[in-house]
Amino acid sequence: MRQIFASLWFALHSAGQNFRRNLGVSLAGVFTMGLIIFLVGGSLLFTHSVDTVLQGQEQNASHLKIYLSDNASLAAITNFESRLKTDPRVISVTFETKDQAAHQASQNPDIASALNVLGSNPLPASLNLNVRKLTDLSQFNAEAKATPIVDSTTPTDYNSDVISKLNTVITVIEWVGAIIAIILLTISIVIIMNTIRTAVYSRRTEIEIMKLVGATDWFVRWPFILEGMLGGLLAAIFSGAVVFGAYRLFVQAAQGNLLSVPFDVRYTVTLLIVLLVGGVAVGAFGSFLGVRRFLSA
Amino acid sequence: MSVAVAERSSAPPQHALRPVISFHGVSKVYPNGTEALRDVDLAIHQGDFCFLVGPSGAGKSTLVRLLIRDEAPSTGRIFIDGQEVSRMSHRKLPKLRRKFGIVFQDYKLLTRRTVAQNVAFALQVTRPGQRHLREKVEEVLWIVGLEDKLDKFPDELSGGEQQRVAIARALVHRPRIFLADEPTGNLDPDTSWGIVQLLLQINHRGTTVLMATHNREVVDLVRRRVIAIDNGRVVRDEAEGSYLREGTATL
Repeated sequence: MRQIFASLWFALHSAGQNFRRNLGVSLAGVFTMGLIIFLVGGSLLFTHSVDTVLQGQEQNASHLKIYLSDNASLAAITNFESRLKTDPRVISVTFETKDQAAHQASQNPDIASALNVLGSNPLPASLNLNVRKLTDLSQFNAEAKATPIVDSTTPTDYNSDVISKLNTVITVIEWVGAIIAIILLTISIVIIMNTIRTAVYSRRTEIEIMKLVGATDWFVRWPFILEGMLGGLLAAIFSGAVVFGAYRLFVQAAQGNLLSVPFDVRYTVTLLIVLLVGGVAVGAFGSFLGVRRFLSA
Repeated sequence: MSVAVAERSSAPPQHALRPVISFHGVSKVYPNGTEALRDVDLAIHQGDFCFLVGPSGAGKSTLVRLLIRDEAPSTGRIFIDGQEVSRMSHRKLPKLRRKFGIVFQDYKLLTRRTVAQNVAFALQVTRPGQRHLREKVEEVLWIVGLEDKLDKFPDELSGGEQQRVAIARALVHRPRIFLADEPTGNLDPDTSWGIVQLLLQINHRGTTVLMATHNREVVDLVRRRVIAIDNGRVVRDEAEGSYLREGTATL
């Protein structure tokens, strides 16, 4: 036990000492790492915001009007409506009668006068469907077409073109965000590895002596890994704070605009935790790689 | 230069049945094709004091590097304390290296640490949490004659004193074998003589000492076992030898 504490103390002490002694190199490392963490965090938050806005749009687009045939019996309609209501993919279903449809359409004076001229109501009754996911719409459209009580000439108001485009945009934005984050993480690992390698190089005599007198590899490694973790933590704290501040400003600036961005507290907190843990992990991993070369013999 | 060699052990070294170091048909060829050692057979017993002599590039340093398994031999087997080191796994090396105390021509001291800290470092990194650290460090610095320089930095010491610090650091964990690779290479004759006397004193306490050297005067004065290496081969192994073959100008 005493030995473990002594090892830990030695590692912590020499990590801190090295960080201070090579303050210039350490701070340069923290700065670059911080910049990258800021970019990662920023791009993730930006992607998330765009995603949220688009999902809002998606929600608006997730409506489907199923037009019913004029000779459909009320029992059959009720039956179809209750079947849709029990479907887990569906948020809500409302029934719109021919009269309601006519009333709704009459708000446009041209249509109102056309209806007057006709003397009868050509507008069909409909079931207005609100679904959870945009991608489910095409299935409901297909299902509606196969249902006998549905108007066979114009079964639904489904517009596959707009919906699939919106879907593609969301997917692309999510992927681009993820790829940018991965690229930035890789760059940061390489930078940390080189920063640590410079630090290790300036201490090669110490490592050589440690190996000569019979210190284990992990004993040599730990101070460097702790030093990397310390750098990663500092970088994550600073850049996390900057990302948080920038996000608040962004949300405030977007307020009142057409696409207002909601301030997502849960996502932000999760992201800050991920940045902290990620900064520490990346710092540790970069150090591990940086010191490896000097331990090979 | 005084010939008053540190007193020699009155009794001959007690040779255990098993040598503490043994080489069996060891060769070392580097990837670039250089043959550093060729078919070396050697046995060194507990308590021996050996000089390893030969021109630069003869293979002395390679032999030292093979001993501490800084390198592995191309062929042949090496045993330390009955343990085969030529095929030892990387994980076991720290334990092997704790059997050795090693000093080099360039001292390898940490310039930002004091004399006492340099010596303590060897214990801190191999036996963290060691009790009575300060006493152990002071004791070993007393042995090398630097008890009044504990808080000096290496830069404030002479070359000979720096080598003594390196010796103290190599001694502090009580090694079985003491390896000195050209320890007097950077020192003037008087200082060199002081270092050799210190090594003889260490040997007198029972530690096996192997000293690779170019220092002809020292070897000729001390008259201990001489292993001469030339072109990677052991060309001579004498119990009380001189730097050059008696009566000749060759190794």
